[in-house]
Amino acid sequence: MRGRVIAGMVGAVIMASATVAVLSNRTGAQSPFGDPNAEPSPFNPQMGALMSMLIQPRHTKLGLAGNGENWPLAGYMLKELRQGFAVVAKAVPRWKGLPVPDLVDAAVSQPLTLLDYAIKLKYRRQFDEAYEGLTKGCNACHATTDHAFVVIKVPDASSFPDQEFAPQR
Amino acid sequence: MSSAIRRVGWMAGAVLAITCAVSIAAWAGGSGFGDDDDNSEEEGPSYFGFVRDASGATVPDAKVTVGVKNRGGVVTRTDLLGTYKVPGFGKEVDPKDVEVSCDKPGYKQLRVVRRSSPSSDPKIPIETECTLQRI
Repeated sequence: MRGRVIAGMVGAVIMASATVAVLSNRTGAQSPFGDPNAEPSPFNPQMGALMSMLIQPRHTKLGLAGNGENWPLAGYMLKELRQGFAVVAKAVPRWKGLPVPDLVDAAVSQPLTLLDYAIKLKYRRQFDEAYEGLTKGCNACHATTDHAFVVIKVPDASSFPDQEFAPQR
Repeated sequence: MSSAIRRVGWMAGAVLAITCAVSIAAWAGGSGFGDDDDNSEEEGPSYFGFVRDASGATVPDAKVTVGVKNRGGVVTRTDLLGTYKVPGFGKEVDPKDVEVSCDKPGYKQLRVVRRSSPSSDPKIPIETECTLQRI
């Protein structure tokens, strides 16, 4: 009986020590998301992040602005989108070994030029055709880079509830 | 009896687990030009390029033949962007012996320009541009 009590106490002490050790280790160890005391590292987003940050929202806003015939906003978003592509091509010149500037040029240069004309002429039908060409170019590039499952389309609703896309008078 | 049933169940579970593990490993390998491809060194450099017309516009659905001298080759077609991609022929094939030609009804081949040499990075393909001219 006495032996069992002693064994139980020894077991409890071992468990308590193990718990303390685990907890102290956890507070001292690095979080899975990094060391809070490390020097900030340069922000280096790769292709997927760049597409989500710089290209897709601008493609959407350009479409919504054209749909609202808000030509000043459409012109601004077209410029932003062009710059986005330039940043991507410069930041990731090769992706999966493929030449990104050449792919971007083949996919979107022509529709971007046509969009520019359409916006300057405030010509809705030409805008719609060129925007569809741009969207097809995006998808063709996704197919070339083995990402055909990422399908871009003409936006049918705004994903920016805090922005007005209709022209303001 | 029950221990025999348990043993059979355990073995079936083990077989299922091994099958799943092997399948997942096989799927992870994939093929093509993915970041996960780890067989590029054995395959040698892959081949990639655009087919353009004389004005510089890309030509979709052109026939592209990528052949190894005296050993045949593969025929593919350009995609919507006017590009073709062919995996490597094996590291024993000298890229200098690989020739690219292109063709499309209503066009004739104008020139073929190799834009890059084999890179130290096996993932970077050898780029060859083929230009067609309307007949």
